[in-house]
Amino acid sequence: MPGMTPAATAPRPSRRAVLANAALLAAARALAPATFVGCSLGLPTKAPKVLVGLLHSQTGTTGGGGRSLRDIEFHAFERINQAGGILGRQVELLGPNPGARPDRRIKLARRILDQGAVAIFGCWTSASRKSVLPVMEEAKRLLLYAVQYEGNESSPYCVYGGMVPNQQILPALDWLESPAGGSRRRILLVGSDYVYPRTAHYVTRTYLAGRDLKVVGEFYRPLGDQDFSLVARMLRELEADCVLNTVNGDSNEGLFQALAEAGVDPDKTPVISTSIAEDELRSLPPEQVKGHYGVSCYFQSLASPANREWVTGFQEEFGHDRVTDDPMEPDWCLVHLWKQAVEKAGSFETEAVRQAFRSGLEFAGPGGTVRLDPKTQHTAKYCRIGRIRLDRQFDIVWESPEPIHPDPYPQVAFPGWKCDWTAGGITRGAEVSLDGDL
Amino acid sequence: MDTLPLSAAPQDWYWLYDIPPLRLAIFFIAAFVGFYWAGCVFLRPILRQFVKHTAGANDIVGYVLSCFGVFYGLLLGLIAVTAYQNVADAGGNVTREAAALSALYEDVSHYPAPHGQNLRWLLRDYTRYVIKYAWPLQRRGVIPEEGTIRVDAVQEELLSFQPVTPAEQILHAEALRQFNHFLEARRLRLFSVTAGLPATMWYVMILGAVLNLAICWLFDMRFVTQLVLGGILAAYLGTMMFLIFDMNQPFRGDVSISAEPFEAIYTRMNED
Repeated sequence: MPGMTPAATAPRPSRRAVLANAALLAAARALAPATFVGCSLGLPTKAPKVLVGLLHSQTGTTGGGGRSLRDIEFHAFERINQAGGILGRQVELLGPNPGARPDRRIKLARRILDQGAVAIFGCWTSASRKSVLPVMEEAKRLLLYAVQYEGNESSPYCVYGGMVPNQQILPALDWLESPAGGSRRRILLVGSDYVYPRTAHYVTRTYLAGRDLKVVGEFYRPLGDQDFSLVARMLRELEADCVLNTVNGDSNEGLFQALAEAGVDPDKTPVISTSIAEDELRSLPPEQVKGHYGVSCYFQSLASPANREWVTGFQEEFGHDRVTDDPMEPDWCLVHLWKQAVEKAGSFETEAVRQAFRSGLEFAGPGGTVRLDPKTQHTAKYCRIGRIRLDRQFDIVWESPEPIHPDPYPQVAFPGWKCDWTAGGITRGAEVSLDGDL
Repeated sequence: MDTLPLSAAPQDWYWLYDIPPLRLAIFFIAAFVGFYWAGCVFLRPILRQFVKHTAGANDIVGYVLSCFGVFYGLLLGLIAVTAYQNVADAGGNVTREAAALSALYEDVSHYPAPHGQNLRWLLRDYTRYVIKYAWPLQRRGVIPEEGTIRVDAVQEELLSFQPVTPAEQILHAEALRQFNHFLEARRLRLFSVTAGLPATMWYVMILGAVLNLAICWLFDMRFVTQLVLGGILAAYLGTMMFLIFDMNQPFRGDVSISAEPFEAIYTRMNED
């Protein structure tokens, strides 16, 4: 601008004033959206969100199972969000990793709740569930637990999506005793040393008392331990003709290796496992497990159109070599049951959601219709027994004719105990010792 | 991992990056031109008092403006180059991370079962997480920490593999090398999420722009001419500021890094 000459003529105030006003107005117009009306600048409208916690060990001995549950929960909530969310709110997931440390699990559960999560989907082992439940009860928020467990528990702040012994172990024992299961008479109980196997074995012992099928022994190893060499010897010495396996996590590798090395024939001495599903089978050499059995509410090989569609949807999202199993299917159902409850309640508030759960919800899942029992907050579901194939899938050899009603306190094992959250809660019976007479 | 994803809050002014680039550019230009015009009306009469009776005032002001313009232009130019270099470096880290991830995926595909399959699943899961969850967080200026859990799982599985044959030992050593490259590039990507020009630089740039415009107010010329010529200068200063602002955050704005390298390898992973 150098070299410009000053204005030669006298100033014309009227024109100047007009221009000044015009400039001011233009500047005000340009700045107004940013100053006063931010949204008119094209800012994306922020959809309201609701936080949900996922508390699964994603590393450590149960890390594989925890990651599968995490993935199916992500899959379920992604679909729900795509369809508009829940009550018009998008679900945001918080998924820290507690690893295998109970103290960390409790700390992270607290932190998730402090951040405003309305519920937590999580836990794998009973030990982890029992460590988190007091935190949930204190905060009065719901824990949604999808894994099969031992029963003998019912918390008003937990919804149980997995099977309890009367839906899984007891039908499996009946089957083993029947001609279809080989009319077995002597059973060895093998488990990891924590609350689920201990309680499951206690229920088994009391259930089989006075029956043709007898418990000949019990064997436990710490969670994660691989040394099961003694089991093969016990099988021989105790002349067991079948095994109930409640070993959890990667310890199963040691168990089946020991059985294979001892030459245990699955036709003569089958192992029926409660915690081995398609995901765990990937870590087990197929020649070691072929012919043994699993008992579950769901198998990927289930030939229903709903299941095929569900499996395909999951594999398209997470990879075509991914497998689905129990507890992924119960977890999927649990997410949708919770969504139904929230929608029925019209609120994410825990008490309202619990009331909605008490109205008796049901969901058509990949493994069949599951119905939530309002009294116990457990789900009624089918029991299925599958024979392990070389391709790490199951041939379904038996299926319950209808969904089995959940009973967390089978009277044969817990006399006098009863749960009814629609009328007073838990009725306490006689104290029981899990060690029994063994 | 102790940090939950919501704990890393972005800076308060990050909302500016949510404005579409064209509107943001108009906003910057309007702000600068508006400021200049407002100064013409309110400050110009006062400032002109300093040079009113000086002979050849316009020439002097012009020399000062030229001199100032050289220094300020250099500063803006260097800063723009630095900002672009930051984006380019972050883009390089993203490409390196994706390349190391792809190489690692290929290496572990030859591991015996179940390690090979487990690792492929874990790496695919990590890639999916980066595309679907980490990138949107980075675009909001939040460091996505949950990926660490997935990396921990990969590391755990990788270290649980005990190679037996010499071929497996060589493969495992190579996989570990790739894993370390991947870790390094990933950490650099996370560092660059919040990378940007320091606040002092912004203060100097803004002060420079204000002084630039203030010098223009010292010119003695017709008011309309002043508005038009100074307005053009202010509009270009606004454009430069917009450019630097847009490039300031490598994962935000129009000039930013996309998740394309990860999307490409994820497609490849899912074709297996």
